[in-house]
Parts: sequence; structure tokens; C-alpha cells
Amino acid sequence: MDRERLAYQVAEILLRHLPQGAAPSAVEAVTADLVRLLEAAGSEPAATDEPSGRRLMVLTVLGRNHSGIVHAFSEVLAEAAVDIVDINQTIVHGNFAMMMIVDPTSSKLSFADLKTALKRRGDEVGVQVFVQYEDLMRALNRI
Amino acid sequence: MDYTRREILETLRMTELEHFDVRTVTVGVSLLDCGHEDPEEAGRRVYAKLVRVAGPLPGVVAEITEALGIRVANRRIAVSPVALIGTRAEPGSYLAIARAIDRAAQEMGFDFVGGYTALVHDGFTQADRALIASMPEALSTTKTLCSSVNAGSSRTGLNLDAVRLVAHMLKETAYLTRESGSLGCAKFVIFANAVEDNPFMAGAFHGIGLPEVVIHTGVSGPGVVCQAIRRAGPCDLRALAEVIKRAAYRITKVGEILGRQVADRMGVPFGIVDLSLAPTPELGDSVGEVLEAMGLERTGACGTTAALAMLTDAVKKGGVMATSAVGGLSGAFIPVSEDAAMIAAAREGALSLEKLEAMTSVCSVGLDMVAVPGDVSEELLTGFIADELAIGIINHKTTAVRVIPAYGKRVGESVSFGGLLGEAPVMDLRRLSCEAFVRRGGQMPAPITSLRN
Repeated sequence: MDRERLAYQVAEILLRHLPQGAAPSAVEAVTADLVRLLEAAGSEPAATDEPSGRRLMVLTVLGRNHSGIVHAFSEVLAEAAVDIVDINQTIVHGNFAMMMIVDPTSSKLSFADLKTALKRRGDEVGVQVFVQYEDLMRALNRI
Repeated sequence: MDYTRREILETLRMTELEHFDVRTVTVGVSLLDCGHEDPEEAGRRVYAKLVRVAGPLPGVVAEITEALGIRVANRRIAVSPVALIGTRAEPGSYLAIARAIDRAAQEMGFDFVGGYTALVHDGFTQADRALIASMPEALSTTKTLCSSVNAGSSRTGLNLDAVRLVAHMLKETAYLTRESGSLGCAKFVIFANAVEDNPFMAGAFHGIGLPEVVIHTGVSGPGVVCQAIRRAGPCDLRALAEVIKRAAYRITKVGEILGRQVADRMGVPFGIVDLSLAPTPELGDSVGEVLEAMGLERTGACGTTAALAMLTDAVKKGGVMATSAVGGLSGAFIPVSEDAAMIAAAREGALSLEKLEAMTSVCSVGLDMVAVPGDVSEELLTGFIADELAIGIINHKTTAVRVIPAYGKRVGESVSFGGLLGEAPVMDLRRLSCEAFVRRGGQMPAPITSLRN
């Protein structure tokens, strides 16, 4: 939704709750004020699902549970300056399953190098590692 | 978390455990500006254009599949029907172009190139005749080149003379490639109602209505559908259709995402996703296995055509939800040699050529990768092909025949091609004569349903 239309709709809602008799010109005036306000704030008012330009990655780790697995991977991510956005970890019958959503925007490593580093760490701690951009997760599970 | 644990694990199960891959990313390239009276010069132009336009594709595909966490089995090129590249209409001319295409493809790391093609559904040009005459040599001396002929359509009827010419050509190709199980014939397909945007081989070509360059993807995924059906257990057919549709949605979506990203990166338009279930000889990646999971003892049993009809329809319905760019052949493929369960069924005698023919009336293509004894006559082969093409012409669908008259082989033996082409048991063909019929020659008129305006 563009800025102006959103402002217009907000103005309409505001005026609907005011006493009768607000002139159509009042809507225009309030809209103009709101647009100025939004521009001054310098932010995108549109309510998108995620900040634009951010392409997240999904890191999945599966294997036998033992101590230090979460640490092993968060260390690699921290060294590469990759931000952990979300983490979900569980143990089923001694099997360890961890899913991390990470933001590689300011990563010091390229995608390929980061993937290699994570896979290598997976080999060291004896777990399986899957790394991919979130594109598939998003597309396959949302209609 | 944006995704549930289950969603992430299901996606991984599909890509890691269920043999899921995208069968092909195919770049379509127009060669209509490469013509020259001197065939060697035409060949040089073709080579230069392919290297310039298609060259970056394998690298781009490798990078994107790595980022998405999926596999792509083949990288392919579809070129304009070579008979339309203006050059001297002699068989030798087209061989020069064939070699140029093959060299370009191999150097750039492509698996196959389709488009050594003549469109003759309503008669031949001199170029068409020359191209078809050159096919045995082209198919036996190149590695990646695939070839096709469109011999009929629902608007024009069937060019029986073209079918006879093809039958003759196939026998010669089978002989020339006898050392490798008559492999040359596996790289050729004859169509009725060929489509212009098919990314699959051997029948891909870059249609004349398409843009200069375009990216198509062809998905695979029988393994994903098969596992979904098994997990669903003994539900009724309506519920089963829903299960298949959901699986097809996911498979197609992957093809769509990949195709669009590749096209974006290459700076060319995205064409279509062909949402066909394409099997591989690998166990667990078989359309026959899907039919068996639906409840048949063996592919070829009574109920096979009904099960395949439902499967094909459900795949289309699920697929169209995933992309607005459905095209190509889109359905289910039943190539005998490329499908472990079909190979087994044919070997046991459960699956006959007649049953296979019936199945092709509801699948997406036709009699695909079937081997017949090497001693069948040209006339018999002509009748065999004409039957299949007639099904397509009357029913307004694409049908095709990819048959290997395996030189020196008899029923009970088999020919092995390796890789995606698999292994074909030699199947029995009825030896009753159709000679007097096919020798009549000429054009079988278009069906009454062609008059739609």
C-alpha cells in the first residue's frame, strides 16, 4: 500500500469518529498532514511481512544429542557476524533437532563459504547440517 | 519462528530423502538469425550464438541450486527447429550444424540439446527432407544432440509419408548405433501436436512463437508423490487426489522459484514450468511405483489406465496452483526404460505394449523409451507409430513415440543405455501385417473436431 493511500484511509477513519459535519476538505487536510508526518519519520509505513531486502537463511541441524551443539554453531555464526533471528531446538528420543533462522545480511563470509564452515563444524561435532535460503520454506508452506 | 518445525523438516524430507530434484533447466535459444548459404558458416554462427547466450547457464544454475538447497539433474538447450535455419537444403549442410551444436553444448557442460527438428505435419519442405535424411548420421556421431519430427496435428491430420520416412530412418539409426544398444533411437522422438515450449528430451525445441531466449524448467518428483500416497494409507479416491495435488503443488513451486531466479540472473524472460512427473531409473523415483502405491499389484494390471488418468489430472490441478506459467507437456511420463517399476513390469510380462498404448491416452506423452525387436519391418514400425499419433490427433493432445528397434535383439533380451535413459527390455510387437494400409501413404485428413472456428 503506498504512503498516500494509507494516509487517506487513516484520515477517513479518524474523521468517521468525529462529530458529524466534517467537510471533505478536512479529509484532504488531515491526509496531507499525515503524509508529511510519515515522510518526516522516514520509515516505510506499509505493513510488509519482513523488512525489505532481507533474505534470511534456515540452518537445520540433526543428529545424536550431546553437549555443546548449540554452542558449536552459534560460535561459527558469531565469528561470521551472522545474526540469529530465531532458534527452535528439541530432543526426541535422544535425537537432537535444531532449526535456526539467521540473517546473513552483514555476514563476513559468502553464502558458499558460510555453508562450508557450518558443514565442517557439523562434521566435527558429528551431526548433519542443512543450510539454505528461506525461499523454499516460504513458497512450499504458504499458499 | 516464521516456519514451524514441521514445515522445515517436511521441506528437508522432500529435498533430501525423497529423490526430489528438478529434472531440467532448459534454455531456449532462437537460431533463426544464424542462417547462411554456406553450411559451415551457418554452423559457426550457431556455435557463437549458443556460447554467447546459453554459456552462463550452468554456472548460474549451480549457484542458485546451492543457495536453495535443491538438485538439478540436467542442464539443457532447446534450439529453433534446425530445418528452419536457412542454408543449402542438403543432408551434409545440416550435419555441419549438428556438429556445431554438439560441440558448443559439450564445451559448456550441457547434458542435452533438442531441436534437430522438422515440423512436417502437413507436408515437407526440401529442408525437412534433407534434415530427416541426415538424422541417422547426426544421431550416431553426436553425443548431446536430440532430434524430433512433428508428423501430425489435430488441425492438419497425420502425414503418413513422414511416419514412413521416420520408420526407415530409425532402422538405419539403430544399425549405426548397434554397438551401444541402438542408442541413437533414444535421442529421437516423433510427435503429434508437438508443443513449442517443452523442456524435456528428446522432444524439446524452441518454438517459432517464443522470444529470442527463454528459460523453462521441467520438474520431476515421482518419489515425493509416492511417499505422500504411502503416508496417506487406505483413503478413498477423493482424499487420494487431494494428497497428490498437495505433493504436485510443492514440486511445481520449486520449479517455479528456480526458473524465475535463473531467468532473473541471466536477464532473460522466464517461460514455463513443465509440471510432468518425470521418473528416473533409480529405485523410489518411479511413476510405476506411484501407480502401485495407489493399489495395483503391478503396472499393467487392470485399473492401471484409471489410476494413471487420476494421477495425471491431480498433478495438473496441484501444479496450476503453484505457477501461472504452466506449459510444455505437463502430466505424467511413462518412459519404460527410465522407470524401475515399469522395467520390472515389462520384464515380467505384466505390462504389454497394448496396455502401454491405452495408458498413453491419459498420460502426458506417449509410447516412450520402448524397445522392440530389431527385425521388425519398417511397415510394422510405421503402423505402430501411426496408431499412437492418431490417439493424439483425435483427442487434441500431444502424443509421441520414442521407440528403439534394437538391432540384433529379440524379445526377452534388453538394451542398456545407462544414466537417465536406463534399461529397456525388448517388448513383443504384434506381427500381423499392416503393409497394405501404410503403403497407401499420403495425408490422413484432419479430424472433424479440427473445425472449431
